[in-house]
Amino acid sequence: MTGAAHPLVGDIDVAVIGGGIVGSCLAGFLAEDGVGVALIDNGRIGGSNANAGSLHVQMQSRFMRLYPQNVPGMERQLPLYPKAVAFWQAMQARLGADFDLKMTGGLMVAESRDQLDFLEIKARRERELGLDVDILDRTALDRIAPYFGPAVVGAEICANEGKLNPLLANAAIRRWVIEKGVVLIEGESAGPVRREQQRFIVETGNGWIKAGRVVLAAASGSKALAAELGVAIPAEPEPLHMNITEAVAPLIGHLIQHADRMITLKQFGTGQIVIGGGWPAHLAGARRHPTVELASLVANATLAQHIVPRIASLRIIRTWAGINTSVDGKGVLGPIGRVPGLFAAIPGDAGYTLGPLSARLVADMMLGRQPNEDVSPFSPDRFEAA
Amino acid sequence: MTGTITIDFEGTPVEARAGESLAAALTAHGVNVFRTTRCAAERGLFCGMGVCQDCLVEVDGKPNQRACMTKVDRPLTVRREAHARPLMPAGQGRPPVTIGDVEVRTPELLVIGAGPGGLSAAIAARKAGAEVLVVDERSQAGGQYFKQLSVGPEGISAPDAQHREGAALIETAVGLGIEITSGVTVWGAFEPNEYAATAEGRTLRLLPKAAIIATGAYERGWPVPGWTLPGVMTTGAAQTLWRTARRLPGETVLVAGNGPLNLQLAAELIEGGARVVAVVEAAERPSVTKVGALASMALASPALIRDGLRYHAVRRSGGAAMIYGSIVAGVEKTARGLSVRLLPASGSGEEIRFEVDALCLGYGFEPSNELLRALGCGHDFDPVRRQLVTRRDADGLTDVAGVYALGDCTGLGGARAALAEGVLVGLAAARALGHTTSAGLDAEARRARSHLARHRRFQQALWTLYAALAYSAALATPETLICRCEEVTFGQIEEALGEEMQLIGAVKRRTRVGMGRCQGRYCAPVLDALLAERFGRARDEFTGFAPRVPVKPVAIEDLARLG
Ligand SMILES: Cc1cc2nc3c(=O)[nH]c(=O)nc-3n(C[C@H](O)[C@H](O)[C@H](O)COP(=O)(O)OP(=O)(O)OC[C@H]3O[C@@H](n4cnc5c(N)ncnc54)[C@H](O)[C@@H]3O)c2cc1C
Ligand SMILES: Cc1cc2nc3c(=O)[nH]c(=O)nc-3n(C[C@H](O)[C@H](O)[C@H](O)COP(=O)(O)OP(=O)(O)OC[C@H]3O[C@@H](n4cnc5c(N)ncnc54)[C@H](O)[C@@H]3O)c2cc1C
Ligand code: FES
Repeated sequence: MTGAAHPLVGDIDVAVIGGGIVGSCLAGFLAEDGVGVALIDNGRIGGSNANAGSLHVQMQSRFMRLYPQNVPGMERQLPLYPKAVAFWQAMQARLGADFDLKMTGGLMVAESRDQLDFLEIKARRERELGLDVDILDRTALDRIAPYFGPAVVGAEICANEGKLNPLLANAAIRRWVIEKGVVLIEGESAGPVRREQQRFIVETGNGWIKAGRVVLAAASGSKALAAELGVAIPAEPEPLHMNITEAVAPLIGHLIQHADRMITLKQFGTGQIVIGGGWPAHLAGARRHPTVELASLVANATLAQHIVPRIASLRIIRTWAGINTSVDGKGVLGPIGRVPGLFAAIPGDAGYTLGPLSARLVADMMLGRQPNEDVSPFSPDRFEAA
Repeated sequence: MTGTITIDFEGTPVEARAGESLAAALTAHGVNVFRTTRCAAERGLFCGMGVCQDCLVEVDGKPNQRACMTKVDRPLTVRREAHARPLMPAGQGRPPVTIGDVEVRTPELLVIGAGPGGLSAAIAARKAGAEVLVVDERSQAGGQYFKQLSVGPEGISAPDAQHREGAALIETAVGLGIEITSGVTVWGAFEPNEYAATAEGRTLRLLPKAAIIATGAYERGWPVPGWTLPGVMTTGAAQTLWRTARRLPGETVLVAGNGPLNLQLAAELIEGGARVVAVVEAAERPSVTKVGALASMALASPALIRDGLRYHAVRRSGGAAMIYGSIVAGVEKTARGLSVRLLPASGSGEEIRFEVDALCLGYGFEPSNELLRALGCGHDFDPVRRQLVTRRDADGLTDVAGVYALGDCTGLGGARAALAEGVLVGLAAARALGHTTSAGLDAEARRARSHLARHRRFQQALWTLYAALAYSAALATPETLICRCEEVTFGQIEEALGEEMQLIGAVKRRTRVGMGRCQGRYCAPVLDALLAERFGRARDEFTGFAPRVPVKPVAIEDLARLG
């Protein structure tokens, strides 16, 4: 051990590294069961601080195109999505908070016959996997969403989708975590983590923390932390771009996506329209700060007005970039066989949607309970062989 | 421009002077409410320079247009803006655009900002042979100090020496073949030397070999109860009304703040026919202990001292009281206008009240360093002036290759200093671009260097003379707004701090402070100072909000419109 014990906590049952949606919920769940938890976050712009609050359920065409090899993994994960959205609703009720959560359904629009055919095939597969999806022609679409431009010919609707305002949700979850007695350590990087006499030593810039068990909930940051303990978790950072406009009267109810182009489009309760969908950003400067690119801004925003022309007169007041994490289309959840006491908690694609439920599953495993879902596909040990 | 133009404001005809800003025309007709907020609060002209976004109106059906930056050059139909109005159905929408479709300009040297600093740098670089493009958001070159008259000449008082000096500078620049493009808002800076701008509703991508950033400064907020009321504006806003359009902010005016500009404004408004009731200065009356500072100022710049004496004489003749050691502690709306409450600068003691139409606040400047910070140029916090200072070498080169900075945006103020510095920075940039400077230019540089040193001494002495206590959050009540845009109160900030939040980003996400259209320009410094004091930490370039693109809002249709 180098240096001194951390001033806030020297010895604790569980250290959760990463205070995004997964780490926060997990810390809260464990604390509710009387476990002593320290939650350490380095305060960088992780996914949960940057994300757009879309509650995704249907397979995102972006991931299908970008990572075709991951489609089987995505399909394994798919049945979890509607449950994850329901879990969010339960979470809101349980915390007695307002997340601005709306189950409006999601529309994936098509601009051509080909794209509509693709949606038909996708919808058929999704229906088999238990989703509530349907294909709408333009007339049917206009009845529920009368604001699309002439380019849109139809859409797939997924009734299980929705949206929430992550600013509200994150703030409420943070309050709950504090209330449950979790020790928050913010603005400090954790690592390296070492094992010493059946316990873990987690170094921070401000001193070490001893913990009985450690959870890697640090999204792409988990890769380096795991590697120091000889464990492979191929979690890669993916900096992404977002835009938000000034407020307008309610116009767009649904969560909107595109069959063939990268976009998510929706309106918050504040009236602001949030435009994203996975356009790239990059890590810049000595601090590796996620930074936006002009190319993404131009393409993303102009695509939005192409789909919904009415928003063209609105001004974008801010863009930002955050770090998403991509693995293999599936979550990485549960104990790591090679290092007893070490756990991973990394959700799959659309990880904000999956966040609270993923945290619940890992918490159950740590508390010695049978999780409500089959967690075997998500075992961190699947990367051992490779 | 000459003549008058009739505009339609909420169905009523309003006579505007051709060429003036919409804000000036409305103010002249007694309109000071331009929009209402989410909380149904009234807002009007505040910064007068396109920063605060409080003067938004609907112009010819286009929502959220800044009245202070909209030039009346044709009959306009104008409505007050309201929060989150429904959007009108639009036509087809334009095809999506990729970066490759955007018009590119590749000047050898790009100068952003046509104030004294930018113009002077452009002239020097051009003389050394560089090909220079100067862009500026305003409708006319000149920046803050050399704001040009945009109306007349009939029926208004003639340009003064300051106008004329600016006109000569602009003329020199144009005569040398420098391209000055007004009405170009640079809203994004990306690495390396890639800038995005909007010009007449189109998007430009500027890819210069080198850039000089001279974006000036804007006035600090003064968050006391009532500081967002219509009729409360910055000293610069009132000065812009007068110096560009010969319009007054009101009939009865109180000018308050810290520093000599407030006195200059008071004198100008009195000469323009306003009744200025008082000039309220936060610093104490200069005493014998400050004689040294006065003497250095007189030595460094006798002309500026002469100006100061003249402004005082005009003030006295206009019957405006000079009140030292006092600050504005609050403003209330009355049936007839505003009731302004003054307190001793310490924040407690006997209260004085004034009833006025307009209150002008000039409590110092914040550098407009957004583009520099977005590019990753390093900054250090100056605890004396309480602002970030750009890290630069003696020639104005920042720590990002090919990016130079000068003038007020670097945290070192003064028009004279900016003029002198411009020569040095312009020549250095030209040399770095491979141009050689003649013996004549080298001599000019030497003179500029000694001018610069002199004006820096002047500024230093000036701020010794005007040393005053910083804004204190003790002046705010829990209901006072810290964030004008998102209407976040000091009480809400305290609530967030009660939830163990220490990082400014966390407080922002929790309360929405700084998430509005102005990009946190007014609340960020106040909040950063508050957190630094509360948690006993030093301010630096990373303790405030991270700079974000766009530094000024950009319309989606402007991104989609090509060629
Ligand atoms: C711009 C953007 C938009 C998105 N939009 C959506 C959306 O609309 N819907 C959706 O479902 N998903 C969305 N996502 C994805 C989603 O945000 C993420 O998948 C999700 O937030 C992951 O949560 P997490 O808790 O696992 O990780 P994160 O939220 O990334 O949290 C991990 C935390 O760990 C910290 N950390 C890392 N290493 C260390 C270390 N060594 N020490 C201490 N702390 C460390 C990080 O700083 C970070 O705060 C979006 C992602 C981005 C980037
Ligand atoms: C409100 C105000 C009033 C002042 N009044 C006086 C006075 O009465 N007397 C006095 O001696 N000094 C005055 N000063 C100080 C003096 O004007 C400055 O010291 C001097 O003008 C600095 O010159 P500059 O070239 O650095 O910046 P400025 O003169 O401020 O010029 C900066 C220019 O950059 C442009 N700009 C900024 N951002 C962008 C962008 N993103 N895209 C495009 N263009 C941009 C602005 O439109 C502006 O024209 C005032 C300063 C301010 C801010
Ligand atoms: S007054 Fe127009 S933007 Fe501030």
